Amino acid sequence: MRSRLLVSTVAVTLFLVAWEIAPRLRLVDPFFTSQPSRVLVAGVDIIRSGTLLHDATVSLSEFTVGFALALVVGVPVGLMLGTFPTLRHLLDPPLMAIYATPQLALLPIFVLWLGIGMASKIAVVFIGASIPIIVNSMAGVRQVEQPLVLAARSFCATGRDVFVKVMLPASLPAVMIGIRLGLSRAVLGVVVAEMYVSQEGVGNQIMRLGSAFRVDHLLVYVLLVSAFGLGATTMARKLEERVAR
Amino acid sequence: MVHIRIDGLTVAYDKPLAGGAFVAVSNLNLDVPRGTFVTIVGPSGCGKSSVLLAIAGLTKPAAGRVLVNDRPVSGPGRDRAMVFQEFALMPWRTVVENVRFGLELQRWTGEDLTERAHRYVRLVGLQGFEHYRPHQLSGGMRQRVGIARALAVNPEILLLDEPFGALDAQTRESMGDELLKIWEQDKKTALFVTHSIDEAIFLGDTVVIMSTGPGRIVETIPIDLARPRTIDMMDTAAFVEYRRRIRHQLNGEVPAHA
Amino acid sequence: MTQLKPVLLGIVSFTVILLVWESAVRVGWLNPFFTSQPTAIAAALARDVRSGELARGASVSVREFGAGFGAAIVVGLSLGVVAGWFRSVEYALDPFIWFIYSAPLIAFYPLFVLWLGLGTHTVIAISFLLSVTPITVNTATGIRNLSPTLLLAARSFGARPHDVLWKVALPASVPMMVAGLRLGVGRALTGVVIAELFVPSGGLGSSIAYNAGLLRTTDMLASLMVIVVLGVICTQGLSAIEARFDSWRIGPGF
Repeated sequence: MRSRLLVSTVAVTLFLVAWEIAPRLRLVDPFFTSQPSRVLVAGVDIIRSGTLLHDATVSLSEFTVGFALALVVGVPVGLMLGTFPTLRHLLDPPLMAIYATPQLALLPIFVLWLGIGMASKIAVVFIGASIPIIVNSMAGVRQVEQPLVLAARSFCATGRDVFVKVMLPASLPAVMIGIRLGLSRAVLGVVVAEMYVSQEGVGNQIMRLGSAFRVDHLLVYVLLVSAFGLGATTMARKLEERVAR
Repeated sequence: MVHIRIDGLTVAYDKPLAGGAFVAVSNLNLDVPRGTFVTIVGPSGCGKSSVLLAIAGLTKPAAGRVLVNDRPVSGPGRDRAMVFQEFALMPWRTVVENVRFGLELQRWTGEDLTERAHRYVRLVGLQGFEHYRPHQLSGGMRQRVGIARALAVNPEILLLDEPFGALDAQTRESMGDELLKIWEQDKKTALFVTHSIDEAIFLGDTVVIMSTGPGRIVETIPIDLARPRTIDMMDTAAFVEYRRRIRHQLNGEVPAHA
Repeated sequence: MTQLKPVLLGIVSFTVILLVWESAVRVGWLNPFFTSQPTAIAAALARDVRSGELARGASVSVREFGAGFGAAIVVGLSLGVVAGWFRSVEYALDPFIWFIYSAPLIAFYPLFVLWLGLGTHTVIAISFLLSVTPITVNTATGIRNLSPTLLLAARSFGARPHDVLWKVALPASVPMMVAGLRLGVGRALTGVVIAELFVPSGGLGSSIAYNAGLLRTTDMLASLMVIVVLGVICTQGLSAIEARFDSWRIGPGF
């Protein structure tokens, strides 16, 4: 494990060095590619200016509300679909259709319906995150081992008992996987939706900076989004591990 | 007194792809007196597990019925408990929590369920492992949890479906021995399904031999060996003779002496 | 007969949705400005098919998808094999793969436009970057997790490293590779559509953005329908291919 960290660090360092030096050697134009030093300067600049706080708050709120909705709706729906085959066969086709569609293709519709404010972004996050949550929760219920259900029934379990004492705990690991997958889709969903059309938020900033070719500032925001995504999925992974046996 | 009466039992399963039904058991009749340990032996697919499931109330017969204490079985009940070949322990529950499982489902009141569970954990020799999870236990230990879980609900009838089938040969022998020691304590009516002729003879008061195509009883052999049974009984002439008889019966040969 | 039930229910499901949608608009519950209606969408699609517009848009998107995904397959598989075989390569690539996977790549589109122009090439680049990651990661995992038992068996017959790679590791990793391809297909299509929303390349996504700007709901939804159908075909198609290789999957006990 230590060698992994070492090699990765060396690789990244080499990359950073090459990136820093190449413009100095006139191999590339820093206008296109920026440099680590510039990115750092831009980073400091952004933190000091305070715009980050406002934009981050907007994006985080959209993300949180959308994801919370996805959890509250997605987990029960997924569990229900897993439990009742008829329901599943009925809802499967539209579900699969939405699953196969890039979540952001729905963006223009949401903007049409909900405007350019936070609501349309929340909708994108909701759709993007709820699909993996539903699909994985459904799969979780379906792959509960039959002997467990049989054992419960042999001890006079009612249908409700079976669901609460066997299905739910047994599907938990799969639900956690769905949540983790939903998280990354949610993070990207918010940012790209804001890039498409919005008045504020991280994505909005990214759009402005990109159009103005302020690559160094752009990179700071991009790295921040990546870091946030990494943090969220790492926490989800940790939770997943604690739940799995 | 007859504790369990099986009357013309036929069990069939749907064949979803081929259509039609697969008849696992056909017109089976068996009387089990109270307090006897009956072993059922037969080749794969002869329906022995189906018989157990029907008694447990987990499958509905296509024809015939099962009577317990002269009342027909219509579903699972507190008077019967089952031990499964695949253990069927809840992976997220500890040993103690698994033993409690049946008590919770049957809504036992009037005593502390955890304390009761602890008693049965000790009974099967797993003291010290109360807070372990199934994946941390060996196969033999897991099955002990399964046995404890079944005993904890104090059933009249114990149904064991190849409980040692997933264990290695040595563990099987010692588990069989221990099971008998536990059984001797209150001699519940027990039905034990197995592939192993030796196990059937060693454990049972009566050996029921089943055959396939579709499942039915071909012979019932009372085992006249003293209780409590010991492992070295397996080397006696009587044991060997039983083994010979049963093996011939299973292979379809007519035995030399009746 | 039970096999047919899911299919029938599925058809029922779609039909009901379409009927409810159409009726709701006619009765006045839904405002067609916001939702359009199935008949209008069908008419728009028919018109686009006749005029060739649909074919043009779809072919642009499909070509971009093909180029992006195709490049991702080539690069992803090769890089994945190398990363799976040489542990240090995997460690070195890891941080970059993480970045490409988790960063909103579309944020760089102005740069891509500068480098590659305002059109198809940018879309292909973004589609490539989005889909190359799962292919690489899955392939590397497949090679890296070569069952030690298979390896032992091969070596007991005198296999040298290069035999192990070609005769054992690669075939054994096929299920993982195909799984990676299935994940990549979705992402490649996503990449094409998202990029087309921002970069007018004449494809389906661009027409969605264009029609959205003009508030032409029907045309917007028509293009969306085509994308949905393409998406479903791709994912179902790859799932079917994946199922065929399922028997190659090495289970426990190896």
